[in-house]
Amino acid sequence: MSRRKHAGRGAAKPDPSAEDAEQQKEQMGTAGGRDRRIAPEASDLRQSGSGKPSLPKLGVRGTLLFLWRQLTSMQTALFLLLLLAIAAVPGSLYPQRNVDPSKTDQYLSEHGSWAKFLDALGFFDVFSSVWFSAIYLLLFVSLVGCVVPRLNVHLRQMRSRPPRTPSRLNRFVGHTRVHVEGVDAETLTAQAHRRLRRGRYRVDTLEEPGGARSVTAERGYLRETGNLLFHIALLCVLIGVAAGGLTQYRGQISVVEGQGFSNSLAEYDSFDKGAWYDDSNLPPFRFTLDDFRAEYDTSQNEHRFGQPTKFEADVSVDDPDKGEFSKTLRLNHPLHVAGSTMYLLGNGYAPEITVKDPKGNVVAQGPVHAVPTGDMGYTSQVVIKAPDAQPQQMAVVGFFLPTGVIDEKGPHSQFPGLVNPELALTVYNGDLGLDGGTPQNAYQVDVSSLTPVQDEDGNQSLLRMSPGDSTTLADGSSVSFDGVKRYAAFDVRRDPFQGFTLVAALSSVLGLVLSLYVPRRRVWVRAVPEGDGVVLEVAGLARSDDDRLQDDVRALAHDLAPEPADAPDAARPPAPGADSTEPRPSHEGPAQ
Amino acid sequence: MIDQQLAQLSNLLIILTIVLYVLALIGFGADLSGVTQRRSDQKLRARTRERAELATVGADAPRSASPGVGAAAAPTATGPEDSAAPAAGTTTSSLGPRGFGYVMASIGAVLHITAMVLRGVATGRVPWGNMYEFSMSSSALIIALFVLISIRRKDLRLLGTLVMLPVLVLMLIAQTAWIIPASELTPSLQNTHWLIIHIGIAIIATALSGLGAIVAALQLLSTRVGRVRAARSADGRELGRFWGPVSALTDRIPSAEQLEALCFRLHSLGFICWTFTLIFGAVWANEAWGRYWNWDPKEVWTFVIWVVYACYLHARATRGFRGNKAAWFALAGFACVIINYTLVNLVINGLHSYSGLG
Ligand code: HEM
Repeated sequence: MSRRKHAGRGAAKPDPSAEDAEQQKEQMGTAGGRDRRIAPEASDLRQSGSGKPSLPKLGVRGTLLFLWRQLTSMQTALFLLLLLAIAAVPGSLYPQRNVDPSKTDQYLSEHGSWAKFLDALGFFDVFSSVWFSAIYLLLFVSLVGCVVPRLNVHLRQMRSRPPRTPSRLNRFVGHTRVHVEGVDAETLTAQAHRRLRRGRYRVDTLEEPGGARSVTAERGYLRETGNLLFHIALLCVLIGVAAGGLTQYRGQISVVEGQGFSNSLAEYDSFDKGAWYDDSNLPPFRFTLDDFRAEYDTSQNEHRFGQPTKFEADVSVDDPDKGEFSKTLRLNHPLHVAGSTMYLLGNGYAPEITVKDPKGNVVAQGPVHAVPTGDMGYTSQVVIKAPDAQPQQMAVVGFFLPTGVIDEKGPHSQFPGLVNPELALTVYNGDLGLDGGTPQNAYQVDVSSLTPVQDEDGNQSLLRMSPGDSTTLADGSSVSFDGVKRYAAFDVRRDPFQGFTLVAALSSVLGLVLSLYVPRRRVWVRAVPEGDGVVLEVAGLARSDDDRLQDDVRALAHDLAPEPADAPDAARPPAPGADSTEPRPSHEGPAQ
Repeated sequence: MIDQQLAQLSNLLIILTIVLYVLALIGFGADLSGVTQRRSDQKLRARTRERAELATVGADAPRSASPGVGAAAAPTATGPEDSAAPAAGTTTSSLGPRGFGYVMASIGAVLHITAMVLRGVATGRVPWGNMYEFSMSSSALIIALFVLISIRRKDLRLLGTLVMLPVLVLMLIAQTAWIIPASELTPSLQNTHWLIIHIGIAIIATALSGLGAIVAALQLLSTRVGRVRAARSADGRELGRFWGPVSALTDRIPSAEQLEALCFRLHSLGFICWTFTLIFGAVWANEAWGRYWNWDPKEVWTFVIWVVYACYLHARATRGFRGNKAAWFALAGFACVIINYTLVNLVINGLHSYSGLG
């Protein structure tokens, strides 16, 4: 037990050599001391505000060097890290375009000029904004400037011998001084050398004047290795993320049950790709959606009722490498196919509807993607455009309701499952405006320029239909509701660098563990001949938080100069006033 | 599929646990006020006496050089063997209020853990599928860690109030505002191994951050007491009605340096857990949504927490920030943990449909 003394960095430092070690570390990472001396001058210059900068000692090169040292100092790294944390916060407070563009648009339209101002500052694209990028790029430049010199120093240290034994050991941790009879310095130091070797120390035995010998040993180089690994791995994570962003692609598709998809750009509803992605690489795979199942909670629990409990999509895949196979996709269980990954991310209903124009021609037929409006019950919007209808173009607009009711809130659905599927539709006539050449969203239509079809009484007809129903309107056109299918929405994605990024992230943890838990320490043993024996001294120096050093040093001393078997330690009174110099028998450290 | 009877039993046990924790809090609170009410100058005398005794016994390790706090810590901080010595004998000889508090806390912890196990059995999954379960599981872990650590380090039991009070507040909030009946998970959470790993580690990280923040606060307090004491004794003034009791408290817990070391240990482990939380969260997000990082509010805040704790570790190695300035970063990190846990779950909505409070 040695909670008695910590050589931790936060702790008071009784011995000056620990400060040496500190200084050494500062120099390894930073230009600590020197910055200080230069800094006041620099700020004086700023205050004087004179147009002509007078830098007699620094010069251009000196100024650059000075700026570089500032940038790579620990204080700057700390400051930039803090800034990074603060800069990330608005990204969670304002709706971000990359997360949900429609929310951003809504915010913009609701908050007027204030929102425009925020937008100009990049508050809706925080993570790609100039200021956020500047912070992390500076941080990583600083990191490089910090790691490279430390890497050099570390490589040199790993190859060099441990530093010389200090001449006075009594100021160091666990200092023990014992007189050992009947051995010579050489045997004792050789024994110490062997023992420290076994303890994975780097060891060197030195001859000293007067026939004395000392052993100097150092251990824990892995600590610095780990620290460097950690920081370099962070760099690699950033590189992996950036490279992945440049070379990835992601596309969205939605497929109705029974229908298929083959991987080509034209088949995607939307497709994003990185700047370096080459579309001709799109892997040629195909699949058919055989079945889609969804289950919803029917318990009486108000938080849970209607919440989904299961989404499953059965697909038959045709992969150029693996051939044909079937697979069930679920959330969290994506399909890996031809180097890409396909995720089941959404679903909805596709009511099968047939529309005939007043002349009796079929102008639209088949499953229609109904777009969920976002309520619990999957009330979904239906839009059918029939540009070929005669004498006028037609549009059918309304809602699909899996479990329909129409009450004072209008038509809506009370439960997402198909309990009482209904369509609530209105039929319009007029010019759909498709010829204007402007591309239109297939799921939207502007009805303001269209006229609703009216019933005999001159009211706008609202059709309410269940599967199997067919209705003829006053103008002779008809709509029939043939059945309901489901569709599933998939994301297909490929990021060639994600494995690299993951390995880098895991390596950073490895480095972190090493750098936090490997103690870096030095241990010295000195044997000075005296009479027919030697005076043995053992001591150590902790170069990191290391609360076991004292025990280990004492255990080493105990091994080298064991107690005579017939002399139990406890029987011997300690010498009064002995603080760090202990006479031979008093090995009673807390180690035993 | 959900065994509602077991879930009811679990809820009942949680209520019992809360009652026991209230009793523990009363015990610890009585102990703390007893300690802080004794006159501090009496204690000063006692302390010098103890120090003299220890010195004659032959203290082999040179004590810390820091004058005020370092010396004050000597009687209490020398490890379990020594805390059984006369100086700390009052805690072991009879079941005082502190012992009572400790026993109540220990029984409570056992019930608490049992309740979480039952909730897990009732739902057929790990008991951290929503905010209520997360709160109850992390508070169980905090109390269990506290009870376990203070089996050996009896001097830490004095801090029972400081651990019990925030945990009780958390449990009461969870019990009244966030409780939802035992239920199945939404499909995006239905991934057993990542649910166990990612959220399990997040719970450990949160618990470590919580304990770490308490230790960091005590470290700052202890240093402050040292400074105030030095300043007042230089002027020949008394410590006064505020600093007197506070110093009586800080004199009985480990020294500022030892708290700093403990704080670092908790946070270094905590930082590793936060790093894993981030990485495994990213892996899970990649499985579930096909993006390993999307700057969702929950992700943003976990990132912020991670960076602030990185600041803490950095600060400890930066000239001019060592020791107490670094401790402020630790507290800032915990503030972010709390924000991530409350505001982000309840106010800011993201993809993480975690709170279960739709
Ligand atoms: C990218 C942002 C950075 C992060 C997240 C980060 C994080 C950390 C963490 C968590 C530690 C403590 C664990 C350990 O000892 O390995 C640490 C240590 C360290 N960092 Fe960084 N760091 C960053 C950038 C930098 C930069 C730019 C520098 C150079 C100025 C730097 C220099 C150091 C040094 C010298 C240590 C060792 C401190 C010691 O001896 O304990 N770091 N860093």
